[in-house]
Amino acid sequence: MAAFRVQRIPSASSGVAFAARAAAILLALAVAGLVLAATGADPLDLGFQVISASFSSSFGLEDLALLVTPLILTGLSVAVAQQIGAWNIGAEGQFYAGAFGAAVVGLFVPGPPAVILPAMFAAGLLGGALWILIPTLARAYANVNELITTLLLNFVAILLVFYVSTSVWRDRAANSATPRMSAEIPEFWGSVHWGLPIAVLVAVLVGLCLAFSRWGYEVRLVGSNPSAAKYAGIPVRRHLIAVMLLSGAIAGLAGMLEVAGTVHRLQGGISNNYGYLGIMVAVLARSSAIGVIFSAALMAFILNSGIILQTQGLTTSAVLAITGLILFLTAIGDELAHYRITRDAA
Amino acid sequence: MIDLRTLSRRGFLNMSAVGAASLMLPAGLARQALAATPLPAMAEEDAVIGFGHVGPISDEGWTWSHHQGLLAVKEAYPKLKKILEVENIPYSADATRTYRQFVSEGANLIFDTSSNGDFLHEVVKRATDVAFLECNGHITMDNLGWYYLAHWYPTYVLGVAAGHLSKTGKLGYVASFPVASVYASTNAFLMGARTVNPQATLQTIVINSWFDPQAATQAGTALIDNGCDFLFGIMDEAGYLQVAEKRGVWAAMWNTDIRRYGPNSYVSSVIIDFKKFYVDQVAKRLAGTWTPSETLLAMGAGVDRDAWGEKVPADVGKAADAVRDKIIAGWSPFEGEIKDATGTVRVAAGQKMTELELYNWDWSVEGVSGLTT
Repeated sequence: MAAFRVQRIPSASSGVAFAARAAAILLALAVAGLVLAATGADPLDLGFQVISASFSSSFGLEDLALLVTPLILTGLSVAVAQQIGAWNIGAEGQFYAGAFGAAVVGLFVPGPPAVILPAMFAAGLLGGALWILIPTLARAYANVNELITTLLLNFVAILLVFYVSTSVWRDRAANSATPRMSAEIPEFWGSVHWGLPIAVLVAVLVGLCLAFSRWGYEVRLVGSNPSAAKYAGIPVRRHLIAVMLLSGAIAGLAGMLEVAGTVHRLQGGISNNYGYLGIMVAVLARSSAIGVIFSAALMAFILNSGIILQTQGLTTSAVLAITGLILFLTAIGDELAHYRITRDAA
Repeated sequence: MIDLRTLSRRGFLNMSAVGAASLMLPAGLARQALAATPLPAMAEEDAVIGFGHVGPISDEGWTWSHHQGLLAVKEAYPKLKKILEVENIPYSADATRTYRQFVSEGANLIFDTSSNGDFLHEVVKRATDVAFLECNGHITMDNLGWYYLAHWYPTYVLGVAAGHLSKTGKLGYVASFPVASVYASTNAFLMGARTVNPQATLQTIVINSWFDPQAATQAGTALIDNGCDFLFGIMDEAGYLQVAEKRGVWAAMWNTDIRRYGPNSYVSSVIIDFKKFYVDQVAKRLAGTWTPSETLLAMGAGVDRDAWGEKVPADVGKAADAVRDKIIAGWSPFEGEIKDATGTVRVAAGQKMTELELYNWDWSVEGVSGLTT
């Protein structure tokens, strides 16, 4: 008699992975639809509203583009650290540190935007990298769990930005924010600025380096088996430090782009949780740098749908529940795509 | 003599148009508002009105009060095509997205019930055929006005009561952000208290939120631990009132009558009511007479003190109400000499602060700690 066995396969074929993800999203929408119908709403009409508001108006598309920009970078930040086996839970704090660094330049250094913007860019990268420096060195030299240290530094960065923007750098005419910075990243379509192409470019470059360079190969090797990498003579510690600093710098860049492209002031709450959402983006992308672009797009669509559904009269909690359901089932679907059922030969 | 407190800013602008009060308001503001051409009239059946809130409607405070305004609009105009309402809008680029979405859904008049500044103005600039009103806003555009409450008057009255009720003379304040409304609120409160107890001080804790019951509760606890025996604040909900009740100190609140959360501690509230204002604005938008206005709802016409708490001695309520009557009759307590927290004289003796100066107050009076001056 033939027996059935469940077998795990190391990498799912792209077709199966895609099907699993599509099935998960459809299932989540179906469950959400049933719940909505039970509360008296019309789920098909709501779905139509979401699609048409997202894609049929330039406002909707602009919103998606503005939302996806920081998500690509915070997702990339987490994904890059994952490649070497580190959990950067501090993208939120590094986002604030990058925004802070960019604001120091934007607020206090005079000059034409052509000079100031690159300086803000560099300050954003530097701020993010500096913010992860201590957790990086602690991990590299004392084996301190970076998950805790990066997480705790988030609170420090958030409160630091709240402090400067509501006291020493406060614009008395504004609502708890610094004065507006004159150097602004130019817009190329509606209110969408050049931060989006930059974010995509960074993700592609990092993806290419990881996939095709010797450095990328060594990093991935360290990530999958540090002991083997060490015996092969790969400088594990050096790679760990470089990758974690890169991870912080990328999150810092997200903060810089948000300050110089979208908000133009430094203020508390500027991150909108992009740093934490980046963790979900990276998980959905299975830590692939290129995949981050797509999972960030999905996340942006989900978040934006949340706003649309709220204007349709759904409460925040219902929207959060639907968002959570989609992510939850997608994660399960992704994992299930790695299993197959085989039948033993009789 | 024109009494600013019983006059809406809108009415004020009309008067300045005929030259009656042009000296009392910065000319630029008035002209800017008058320059705009009204948006065209529209049928009730075609109109979409939007309301965006900072917190949840269930807060029983700030957002709940604005929601009552929405309900009043609904009652006055039952045939409106749609009323859009979103709660919990964060002060971030998400606010821009929400208001853009309002515009996408065809909104004709949008109320931002908690100033979102640039995040709102970004949308205002790109949707010139939509009328916007920003609560506690500070600028006007051709399609953007602002409105707020002259809350410093009832707050001053509450301060007088606090001066009578506090034994230690140490008053505590749970603040949201160091913004103008918080300066006006803390200053008015302490100035009222100091008319009774010149030694009174006000300690402020800023919690970086308008709605964070947990942080407000912690701040209240810390203030009481520091010796404060009267709490006031500018929160959207009742968090610190419950702390005051448990610890047996007095508390005054904002927005609504929430004495049931602390019946023994409750002194009174800065009670707010936007119903009439919202219905009026919708009426103007429909009639095609809407232009951006600057409105400060006056004491007795949108903002007031609540009925005194059960445990407040009758003579204390009476003493405070005597001050309230004086204010309603036209007296302003905000007259020099007023020193700031560093001891510098900011308002010279005999000089009176204007309504706009009170609205834009950005320094603390002597005796207030915890806010930068």
